[in-house]
This record gives sequence, C-alpha cells and structure tokens, in this order.
Amino acid sequence: MATTSTDLRMAHASRGRAMQFRFDDGVVTAYEGETVAAALLAGGVRRLGANPEDGSPRGLFCAMGVCQECIVLVDGVLVEACRTIVREGLVVRSAA
Amino acid sequence: MSAPYDLLVIGGGIMGCAAALRAAEGGMRVVVIEQAAIGSGASGVNTGTLSLQIKRLKLMPYALKGYAWWKAAGEAVGFHCVGGLTLAFNAQEADILSERMLQKRDAGAPIEIISANAVADREPALSRRVVAASWCPADGYANASRTGMYFRHLLAEAGVEAREHTRVDDVVRESDGFVVTTGADTLRARRVLLAAGGWAPALAAKLGYTPPIRVRVNTVSVTERVPRVVDRLIGHVTGLLTLKQKDNGTVVIGGGWQGRGTPDEGRGEVVPERLLINLRLAQFVLPALGTARIVRAWTGFEANVPDFYPLAGVIPGVDNAYILGCVRGGYTIGPYMGRLVGDLILGNEPELPLFDPKRYQTNAGSPVTQEA
Amino acid sequence: MTHDLVILGAGPAGASAAITAAELGLRAVVLDEQQNAGGQVWRAPSGVETPGDDGARLRDRLRVSGVTRAFGRRVWLAERGFTVSALGPDGAEDYRAPALIVAAGAHERHVPVPGWTLPGMIGLAAATILLKSQHILPGRRVVVAGVGPLLLLVAAEILRGGGEVAAVIDANRRRDWFATPLALLSRPDLAGRGAGWVTRLLRAGVPILSRHALRRIEGTDGVTRVFAGPIDADGTQIAGPERAFDCDALCMGYGLQSSTEVTRLLGARHAYQARGWAPVTTAEQLTSVRGLYACGDGAGVQGVAAAPLRGQIAAIAAARDMGRLSASEAENRLVVLQARLGRAARFGEAMARLATPPPNLVPSIPAETIVCRCERLSRADLDAAITQGAVTVNDLKSATRCGMGPCGGRMCEYAAAGLIGARTGRTPEQIGQSTARPPLRPVALQALAGSFDYDSLPMIEPAPL
Repeated sequence: MATTSTDLRMAHASRGRAMQFRFDDGVVTAYEGETVAAALLAGGVRRLGANPEDGSPRGLFCAMGVCQECIVLVDGVLVEACRTIVREGLVVRSAA
Repeated sequence: MSAPYDLLVIGGGIMGCAAALRAAEGGMRVVVIEQAAIGSGASGVNTGTLSLQIKRLKLMPYALKGYAWWKAAGEAVGFHCVGGLTLAFNAQEADILSERMLQKRDAGAPIEIISANAVADREPALSRRVVAASWCPADGYANASRTGMYFRHLLAEAGVEAREHTRVDDVVRESDGFVVTTGADTLRARRVLLAAGGWAPALAAKLGYTPPIRVRVNTVSVTERVPRVVDRLIGHVTGLLTLKQKDNGTVVIGGGWQGRGTPDEGRGEVVPERLLINLRLAQFVLPALGTARIVRAWTGFEANVPDFYPLAGVIPGVDNAYILGCVRGGYTIGPYMGRLVGDLILGNEPELPLFDPKRYQTNAGSPVTQEA
Repeated sequence: MTHDLVILGAGPAGASAAITAAELGLRAVVLDEQQNAGGQVWRAPSGVETPGDDGARLRDRLRVSGVTRAFGRRVWLAERGFTVSALGPDGAEDYRAPALIVAAGAHERHVPVPGWTLPGMIGLAAATILLKSQHILPGRRVVVAGVGPLLLLVAAEILRGGGEVAAVIDANRRRDWFATPLALLSRPDLAGRGAGWVTRLLRAGVPILSRHALRRIEGTDGVTRVFAGPIDADGTQIAGPERAFDCDALCMGYGLQSSTEVTRLLGARHAYQARGWAPVTTAEQLTSVRGLYACGDGAGVQGVAAAPLRGQIAAIAAARDMGRLSASEAENRLVVLQARLGRAARFGEAMARLATPPPNLVPSIPAETIVCRCERLSRADLDAAITQGAVTVNDLKSATRCGMGPCGGRMCEYAAAGLIGARTGRTPEQIGQSTARPPLRPVALQALAGSFDYDSLPMIEPAPL
C-alpha cells in the first residue's frame, strides 16, 4: 500500500473519536464520522482498486456516491467508500 | 415525385431488416422506416439468448436456420456458443423437463438429459439442489445491443435506404400501391411490409386488419462486471429464468417477467414485485450472484397472438401488403422469418411454410391488450 | 408506508419542502442517501456542527418539524402513483403517497482530459465535500482546474487548510467573473468574497492561468503532474507555451448539471437549457406528470439561495393540489416566495453560466482520451460508432456500452452528447438524454431479493410447448 508520510487532515478542525479499520493488509486510523474514502485519502491511500475492464487504477472521484469509482468490498459486497462511514474494526478490501 | 419504391418496410427490427435485405437481394428498391433507431426495439433490448432449448417444437426448423444466421454473423453481433443447461429442482420439474426436451431433440435440437452430478461438474457454482438438467451444446447468445449497428451496416451495403427516427403517421392504399405519410414527407411504394412489433396494430388497422395482437412487457436486468461465476447459458425448466455471464463479466438475467406499459405510451416500466421474483430465482440458481450489484433493469415490448406463432404473410384482403412479427423468442428466428417473407414478397416459394395471417381474420379480436 | 407526500432528497430544497409540508399539516417523509440533511452543499460535518451555520439550522428545523426522516436510504425505483422503493438499514422499504417532490440536486459536469481517470484526480464538488465536511485536503500540492467561481473557493480553502495550490487553471478569464452579472444582481457580498479569495491566492504566489485548460494528466498509480495550455474564448486550443505543474492531487470540474434520473424514470418532460437537461416545471415546480414536483438544482441549476424557496413553493403547491390548503391561502404564500425566488434564481443562474465550459472544449478532446470511465471507452471508440450512424445518446449506448457501466452515464453523458454534436451537427434536443433505468443506483442482488424459499416462489404457467 503506497502511502505518503503526511496526514492530509487539516490541523485546526475538530475531530471525533479516533478509531482503526483494516484496508487490505494495512491498518488505517480514522476519526468518527469520516467516510472510508476520506480516511484512506487522508492516510495517503489514493488507489482504491482497479477498473474491471482493463485493470487501470481507480480512486475517489465524485465523493457523492454517483461515479462508483471508489467502490470497495465490505462484507463481500461492493459499497462506495465515499458513502461508507468508518466503524471501529471495519474490514475493507479493494476490488478488481 | 420520385418513382415509387418496390417495397416499403415499416419497422427496422430484425425481421423488417431481414425481409428488406432479401427483397433487395432479389433486385427490389427498398426503404425501411424506423420510428427510433434500427434494431432499438425488442430486437435490441432482449437478452440476446440463442437457445434451442427454449424454442417451441413447431418452430424448431426455423430456429435452427435462424441460429445458423447468428452464428455466421459471428463477432459482429457478439455471437458466443457456450452451451446451455436447463435446470429442474424437483421430481415434477424433472418430469416436465425430460418430456419436453426429448421432443425437442426429436425435432432436431442436439439436446441430452444429464444428471445433477454432471451439472455440478460443468458448473460448480450452481445450486446443489438441481435434480436434473438438459444440455444443449449449441446454445449461446449474441449481444442484442449490437443488432442495430449490424443491420444498419447490412442495409447500407445492400443499398437499402434506412430512414431512422422517422414515424409513420398514415398508410393509405391506392390503386397501384400505397402512400405512406411520415413526419418528414410522403412516400409511395408498390408493396408495404408491416414489421413494427408492438406498434403494428395501429398500422394494420389503417389497412383494415385487426388481428388480436397482445403485447408482453418483458423485464431484463444486468449486473455490473463480476469475477467469472458461470460459463454456460442457464435456464429454468419453466422458462422463467435465463441467465448468462457475458465476456465482459456482466450477468444478464431474463425470463419474461412482466413489467407494465404499452407501446403507444412509449414507455415500459419495471414492476418491482415481479423483478424481485426473477432475481430471487437467479440467486437461488446461482447463489454467488447474491453479492453482485444490479446496475440496470429494463423492459421490451414483445408482440404475440394467441397461438404464439408468428404472423407472417399477406394481410388478408390487401394485395401487396404484408405483415411479419408477433412471436415469442423472435430474436433467434427473426433473421430467417424475415428472409422467408422477403422471398414471398419477391414471388418466390419460401423454403419453409409461413404462418398465414389469415388465421386471424379481421375483427377476430380486440386490438392491443396487455397481458396480465 | 403511506404518507401524504414523499420527498426525495434532503438538501436545502428537499428539507425546506419537508419543513413546509409539516407546517401545512401534511404527513411527509423525506428520504436521503446521506445520514443527515443538508445535501452536498450543506453537508453535515464529520465532527462537531458549527452552530448557526446554514446546514446546522436546517437540520435543527427539520428535526423538530415532525417530518419522518428516512436517511441512509438507497432509493432504487420510483413509480407513478407514487411508490418509492428503497433499501434501508433493515432491508427493503416502500413509501407511498399521492404526491412526490423530487429534490435530487446536481452532479458535476466533466470534460475528459487524457489521464483524468488516475487516482488523485477528483471533482471540484468532491473537493468541497472533503474540505468542508471532512476537513481533509485533497492532497499536499494541488492543481485546481476547470471553470467557474468554485475554482477560487476550492483553491482558497486548500490554502486555508494548510495545503499548497500548485496552480489554478481556468477556462474563462478572471474578469468574466467580476464583470456585470454579480454587480447587476447586487450581491456585493459575494463579489467581495470572490475578490478575497483571489487576493489570498495571489498573496500566496499561486499562478492563476486564465483562458487555459488541461492538456493531459500524468502518473502511473496516481496523478503526479499536469500540463495546461492556452485556449481561446470558445475553448479551442491555441498556440502558446504549455505549462507543467507537479502535484499529488488535481481537482477539476466544469459546473453542475441537474440530476434527472428520477424525473426521467417517471416520464416527466425535460428540456435542454443553459448547457444541461432539466425537467420542465411550472412556476410552482409542477412537472408534466400529475402529482410530481421537482425543485432545487435537480430542476435546473439555480443555486443554494434559490433552492429552499423552490422547495417551499413545491410543498405549498402540492398541499393545495391535494386539497389540503385553500387556493387563496396558497396564493398568498406563493406570491411572497416567488418574489424572493426571482432574485435568487437570477443570481444562481448567472453563477451557473459562469461555470459553463466553453463550447469547443469537448470537440477538442484527443482521440485516445477515455470518455466513458466505467467501460474505458475512448473518444476514438465513440467517434467510430458515431461515424457508423449512432446519432443519439441512446444509439451510442447500444453501439458501444458508453454509459452502461455502474455510473449509468452520469460522468460521461455530457461529453458523449457533445461528441455526437461535434460530428453530426445535431442539436442537444435531437441527441437527447439516455433513457433512465432502475435501479437509480447499483444495488446488491441479495439486498433486493431478501430472504425467500424456493418452493414458495410463484411460478407462472410456462410458455406452451
């Protein structure tokens, strides 16, 4: 998992409770109320999966549940990472 | 005014186009008028299933010929021969299956009955509750949405004029032919062929023919691309489920579950209660489909008459006017039925008998009614 | 569940419609796919609400209004009559009512650029959601590109949040923004805010490229560099130096367009105006379908000031039309709201016009550029089908699968229609919209199917042998 060292969360903003969830083989820190997509981006994860047609990388795009680019697997079902609110212990997998 | 066409075809679906192509091959000057785009009605929105197992006994010879046409069209129409399994899940269904399929085998389709274990060997992801199945190695599918592009290309090559996005407002019989008024202009033709599917009744009525055409509103749905779960065409003994995973990974689900709407309203709607039964059947037959997301469901208008055989021939009492269409499963047999009617129009003896519209004489029933 | 009124969407328009409906004594339910009201523009923050903020106030008012709030719902079908089918936390739900108000909002218009499918490239609207509701920067060093006032807002917010803006690339000229419309519409407050954003950007040394557009985006697993070049007022590429900017994120957008899936699905009449399709409505937000009202940006983009007014008007009209409010009482209320709406709508429409891509941007898309992201179809793929006779969006969809992927064409239809127009000269009306199909969003088959028993599935008599 490619990550950058710097967190993209703004310093001054108030945050909810910190928690952790899994994304593929990594553990990601998030704050209550964040979406999975936002938490992954903040932690430096841009690539959320591959396009099923040609395997090209895809990531967050519209952030409002329309474009379907940020879909990930939660409990075996594809969900939009931008519409999924993080929960402690959530297991998220990237999809083809 | 320019010289009249030898043949004016109303309706640019598979059957109308195929008849037009045959007539042009025989030297006629032909025009096809289509209210939307070529191949965009039932011809373009069905599941593309090319299954001999779901064909009716009496139509089997036509289905075999139609099948051969799709196979020859090949990649241009997305033809795939993958073999098909029709499944039975209890003893009663198994009895019906073997009785029907053996008759179809006798009619010329290469069908055999296989055991539940043989099914599991071929398609391990299918439900373990299968008790028996029939197998037809010839079954397959084409990509119905490519129908339009393909026929548009064939028409152009054959020199058939295609007028798309053009609605026919009126058809009037004159001493030496027909005058057809469209939104754009007025055309003359020596012969007309009505091949307008669910939209045919209003046109036929203008020529005084009112066969009891009913319209089915068939529902189809499709998943997004998913990892391969099944290779063959899958059907249920009742015909209430057809299912296939296409090359691109999408799974197309059909089975003739009824939506609502009429061709005249121009819009068909999915009826959720019926779509859900279709989807339940799909999930039961192929449990791994449960997690696949449905991205689209739609309906197509399929016209039929009470005996569910085609209307193919001369419109009773109207010389040089023909009607073609109205059959269940017209996708497979359409190209061949079109060719036969093209031959009839050319004055040739068709290779196989047609289905004379005379059996539904004028006023034999009400015009369009929707099936419950 | 039967109500007097179902409202789809709890943004400024839908939530306002709901509050008004409750005041008028209607039993109303408002559905939204988010977990709270506010829509995209007033989205609830992930952390603590800022009291007094527009969104917070709307959420408070809605909470005490008595309206049933059904949030976290995935609406997958709407039928005339009206029945709305949704999936909620406990499975499938149906909501029935004789009237339906659709406040579906808008989504971003995109002009494809080579490389625009790379991770790190997000929409401008997406950037505002990240910045305002999640308080997260799109990247460390960000390029902001496209057209319209939102460019400045996003760039300024990135700076404020501690990020770096590598460049702002605008298809228009800056003076287009501050010229007549804002002044004429007497909104000096907003003109002032715009000027403030520009000052902040210039002070931070951010290059602002006017009359420029992205030429291509580079990267392997994500955006690493973008190239921009000059264009003329129509969007045609012109000679001039290309500029390259290293970045780890790109925010790009070309304005908003109404989300019309629901109104199309219900067969309402739509018209093309101001570079987008929208349902045709009366001044009281009634569509061509009896009992169906559309309001907010989903009924033509007029912006956030107009949205609550349009929502209130729709609710009052619905109450009157179902005999729950006298004509005279409705008239009294509508007159006041219409007067206020006029000014707000004119302003919103002027803003939307500023966020309109110049006409030749789409025709200038290079052949190898992916247009349909889901199906990975390039401009060359689409052009080939157009040459072979695909002259409507529906034709193109059948011929190529453009728009048949999970997004349902929402990301590519604007560009696809523009490419048909460029090659055939047909008007947007002739090119049309794609036919809307359920589900309105992808839904897992098992969620629709629910639990069932094979032996109880109703099997209709099979076709004759």
